[in-house]
Amino acid sequence: MSKAKAKNQRVKQFHLTKVALALGLVLLLLLPVLSHYSDYVLQVFTHALLLATLALAWNILSVSGSISLGHAAFFGVGAYGSALLSLDLGVSPWVTIPLGGLLAAAVAMIMALLCLRLRSAYFALATLAFVEIPKVITDNWNGLTRGSLGLVGLPGLPSLRLGSYHFDISGSPTGSYYFVLCYGLVLLLLVAVIFRSNLGLALQAIREEEVAAEAVGIQVQQYRLLSLLLSGFFTGITGACYAHLVRYIEPGLVYGLHFSAIPMVFAICGGRFTILGPALAALVLYPLDQFIFHPLLPAGHEFLYGAVIILAILFMPSGFWGRLRKGHLVSIKTGSIE
Amino acid sequence: MLCCRRVPIIACLLLLAFCCYATLAVAATIKIGEINPLSGRLAKQGLEIHQGVAVAVAEVNETGGLGGRQVELISRDDQSQPDVAISRAEELCGWKKVLALTGGYVDSLVGPISEVAKKYQVPYVASASLQKELTQRGNSYFFRVARLQGFVEPLCGILSEHLRPQRLAILHAATPGSTEFAHDLESCLQARGIGVKVTEKFRPGTPDFTPLVGKLASMNIDVIVSGGFSADHLLMVRQLKENRVSLKAYIGPFGIAYESFIREMADDAEYLYSTCAWSPGITQPNTEHMSQTFVDRFQSMFHRKPNTTNMHGYTSTRALLTAIKMVLQQKKSLTGPNIRLALAELDLLLPMERVAFDKRGDPRHYQHLVVQIQKGRLEAVYPPERATASAIFPMPHWSRRK
Amino acid sequence: MWTTVLVSGITLGSFYTLVALGFALIFGVTHTFNLAHGELLILAGYVAYWLWKSFGIPFLFTFPAAVLVALVVCLVLQRLFSLLREPMELNSIVVSFGVAVLLQNGMLFFFSGDYRLIRVPALHQGLHLQTIYLSYSQLTLLALSLLVIGLIYLLMRHTYLGKALRATIQNREAASLAGIDVGRMGVLAFSIGALLIGLAGPLYGSIHYLYPTAGLQATLLAITITIFAGVGRIRGLILGGWILALAESSAVVLLGASWREMVSAVMILTLLAIRPQGILGREQK
Repeated sequence: MSKAKAKNQRVKQFHLTKVALALGLVLLLLLPVLSHYSDYVLQVFTHALLLATLALAWNILSVSGSISLGHAAFFGVGAYGSALLSLDLGVSPWVTIPLGGLLAAAVAMIMALLCLRLRSAYFALATLAFVEIPKVITDNWNGLTRGSLGLVGLPGLPSLRLGSYHFDISGSPTGSYYFVLCYGLVLLLLVAVIFRSNLGLALQAIREEEVAAEAVGIQVQQYRLLSLLLSGFFTGITGACYAHLVRYIEPGLVYGLHFSAIPMVFAICGGRFTILGPALAALVLYPLDQFIFHPLLPAGHEFLYGAVIILAILFMPSGFWGRLRKGHLVSIKTGSIE
Repeated sequence: MLCCRRVPIIACLLLLAFCCYATLAVAATIKIGEINPLSGRLAKQGLEIHQGVAVAVAEVNETGGLGGRQVELISRDDQSQPDVAISRAEELCGWKKVLALTGGYVDSLVGPISEVAKKYQVPYVASASLQKELTQRGNSYFFRVARLQGFVEPLCGILSEHLRPQRLAILHAATPGSTEFAHDLESCLQARGIGVKVTEKFRPGTPDFTPLVGKLASMNIDVIVSGGFSADHLLMVRQLKENRVSLKAYIGPFGIAYESFIREMADDAEYLYSTCAWSPGITQPNTEHMSQTFVDRFQSMFHRKPNTTNMHGYTSTRALLTAIKMVLQQKKSLTGPNIRLALAELDLLLPMERVAFDKRGDPRHYQHLVVQIQKGRLEAVYPPERATASAIFPMPHWSRRK
Repeated sequence: MWTTVLVSGITLGSFYTLVALGFALIFGVTHTFNLAHGELLILAGYVAYWLWKSFGIPFLFTFPAAVLVALVVCLVLQRLFSLLREPMELNSIVVSFGVAVLLQNGMLFFFSGDYRLIRVPALHQGLHLQTIYLSYSQLTLLALSLLVIGLIYLLMRHTYLGKALRATIQNREAASLAGIDVGRMGVLAFSIGALLIGLAGPLYGSIHYLYPTAGLQATLLAITITIFAGVGRIRGLILGGWILALAESSAVVLLGASWREMVSAVMILTLLAIRPQGILGREQK
């Protein structure tokens, strides 16, 4: 009797969560209107969505069991790659953004060659150190990157024309917001496809029991490499988008710890092995930090990220969303609770 | 009986009339905006710019406003981040519809703001912007009261005319402004026949300069120009002293000509050179009274003495408000394009500079003085016509000092 | 010039070793990485600065307070770590990273982002030895670092406690079977680590300057030297410290000051490439 009741409760909770998610999506779509086109609100959520895409991309790697503390390397390379190609060669940002992503993937390849053999803890430390290399090179290679001067006046994302309609992107907060939202949704879909594919299953097997996975014939190193490359690629794309939205980059900014650490915090707090978790954490925590904590503590408001990650690791290792989902999956997927 | 019934009605009408008048009066303020880094890594300087701007606005409002209307200052914080700066600019220009913008610190923040201002045709007079790039983009709505040349030319002058170093070293921090400063100084010096022996770049926040100091010592460098900031000078000068490096002069254009630095360094600050656009006591000829008024007002508002950063905020705002006053006096409507025209024709003498803009928006007459710290005070040493003391060169060896 | 490089390399290197020693000890005994190590160092420096600036306490007397604060934070950290589940190494990295962020923001809040320097005029003099000039601050650094390292070495080699620590470092399971309370050893390691940080912090604040984000560099430094030396080998740590400092100085002299930051990164990656099993290469997983 009680078992059936518990099952009913979980089914209800499952449906409730789905409704909540749908509602959240509608709110996001309507945000510009709801906030009366407030630039402040839009800017915060645009940045939150940007960080959400970084968290999703970071998660692609973390699903394989590796934690990276140096993803800013990919972000920076993607940003600089796309910026230089569009600034110096006059290529349209729509083309240079994917190219920036490819450059970032190339850097991911280098990282893989240097670090992928290492055990997870040493891999993490190696990535922490690794960021310095592209950062210092970018900062010192004056001829190519203008060094510490940074890149000013980057071309923005050109506006889209659909018939007689004209969508301004870089010049308009609303346009930028919808652009990043679209990118976020597309990336989410891609991540879902990856996780449910053979790659995703293989990564899960590797994460859980590497030796056994190898014994079953899974090419561990190849799959880990692939996940690192994909993770780097998408992080690079986000970096490139950032460059064309803000139209100004500097080595200290794009290679900074902000872009390495915060996506990691979101992914872990949201749920490292889930699809939606990282994005949800980004969309909840970042606005929380900006709207509530920043006004209260102009200096030191980022303590929030330190606090949540400690709490997450200690008390909710599978993340908030991961915990929530686990409960549902048991009753829905397997059909029974025993 | 009739009058008793009418009194409340008349009272209401009067009240209504008063409210209308009040709202109209309030609504008729002149709205200007400012965006500064009030939090984040540039918080300290951003706040100082803001204070200068506030003093200028208070001064104008206390003397009756502009054309009888009060000036309303809307301040925003860009958190030292370019994307936040953009959204604040959008908010002020697009939503709050300010007539003009001022404030700003560092080109990475001023640049994006200027682009947004251009889009909305809102004139922007930046308080602290140095790099060439910003005035080369054909933005007719962008003006600034400072530029790098104002630092470079006087230094170039004193080095080539008076100090004439044999082995000069130029150091700079890995930031855009500092880097461009180093390039420009080097080109200027080379054009005047002074060679640079070595140029070195360091990261802001470098914890130890000993290897660099050792390298410079081994090359027998006689004059060091460092484009670093206060903290870098604090450390470098101390390590130069500790290693008894014999040096004829140490020049730091950024971050030295401040009371707080002189206090922190105590005796070690003696004989250091810097540049200064303004200081209480060092002001443009014929502006002593204006300068003192500013100092007094600043002191009463913020309970401390103002520095050159505060003055930059004050100068840009005074320039802007004067331009708005000109538009009102000419009985033209207060629109962006009209204010822009007034700014283009402005010629105003202020304590820090004679404000006039060229076609690109750069200030025509922004020049620093080279100063040297002597007996704990800033003394102007170059150009000769404004010098208050002669430069002590070479500086005494460390062992012969306290 | 190369004599200056050598001298500064050895003095700074000894200080680096002092900084790394606590990190290495904690890692060796408990198998946890403390990414907040650098921030703890800066915190100790700030405590000394605050006492020196606000209360005029002489520099030497600020050390005990710095050690106390470091001790408190380290013990809190140790408790946090004891709550962690497997995989310990990875989880400790993430949790200590969170602590580092907390400390950084706390310091930002209390002390603002301004750079702080503790001025100890006595240290600004120095002595001449032929062509070499050694400032008192360099001498103090060298002397204090070597003294403390020497004391730790004696502790590890010639006391029962030290032997117990070493046994735990070499093989936790065997040590526990031999009757050593591994948990207590962990607390001891954190305490000694706190002592070392508490001594190094104020020293750091007097020769360099303090700002909230300075910790990361210090942490990377500690990681580099620890990986170089392997676990439990103090001589290796000293050598590692000297080599790192010399490499950085040489890079400044040969390549330019702007390449300094890359040195420790290149060193870490090279070391890990040579020893992919990491420090505990000998142990079975």
